[in-house]
Amino acid sequence: MRALVIDDSRAMRRIVGTILTDFGYEVREAGDGRQALDVLEEGWDPDLCCIDWNMPVMDGLQFVFAVRATPAYRQVTLMMVTTESETGQIVKALAAGAHEYLIKPFTADALRDKLALLGLLPEQVTA
Amino acid sequence: MTTAQRTQPISTLLDPATVQSIADEVWPSLVGDGEAFVPVPVAPPGEVVSAWVDIVGPWTGSVVLTCSPATARALTENVLMTRPPVVVDDEDVADALGELANVLGGNIKSVLPGESRLGLPRTGTAPPRGRLDDVCALAGQWRGDFLTITVQGTAPHPSGTEVPQ
Repeated sequence: MRALVIDDSRAMRRIVGTILTDFGYEVREAGDGRQALDVLEEGWDPDLCCIDWNMPVMDGLQFVFAVRATPAYRQVTLMMVTTESETGQIVKALAAGAHEYLIKPFTADALRDKLALLGLLPEQVTA
Repeated sequence: MTTAQRTQPISTLLDPATVQSIADEVWPSLVGDGEAFVPVPVAPPGEVVSAWVDIVGPWTGSVVLTCSPATARALTENVLMTRPPVVVDDEDVADALGELANVLGGNIKSVLPGESRLGLPRTGTAPPRGRLDDVCALAGQWRGDFLTITVQGTAPHPSGTEVPQ
């Protein structure tokens, strides 16, 4: 499985990326929504995008809108991973087309639970 | 009427215990298992560095994390889980300290009333404080080293007019 981790913080990209790699994912990183779209436009086809909300250039919500407006990316699962924890923000992201929402700070177990809910936990992790 | 006159001070919206409970969640998750921000003040070092995020909304101000440069580096090594001989550079330190401030700030924003916007993290010399009563400061330590988390109102613009947003 492939995951694209989108966050302007290198530290957070490394934390999320390390957990996903441990789960068996092939991981790529992007520093903002625009860079992430560039990765998708290259043809790198992830099963999952983990998306921070507040980023320069193109924020996470704009990225979700852009992905959902592109039929070619219909299969990708979008999960917000963000400090934005108010109900209004969660509703806004889900209405825009995000599938799941994980609030920072989080643990590896919390990320694993979300992936299990989404059916995106590789078998070797579930076992 | 200025922003500072119109809004409630942070001391009526947030208490240090709430900031501590947020830090209690952030530290183990971001800094590492078993790590904690301990709310027991120690003497400040001669030199400090800060990372902060701005909150703009019914209450406007900043969430500021301040520590010594050496503590910032040690925090970064923990956040990035680096081990010698890997050396973290200044950009890593700014990024990791900024992300700590960002996660603290986002969670503090969520307990404030009304809808607010969170800015992007910045590092350097902390922004000036506003009104004396518009501060909620938590002085403490990490691994015995000085560290503070300060939630502070925006200083009025020097001209005395509305703070630019």
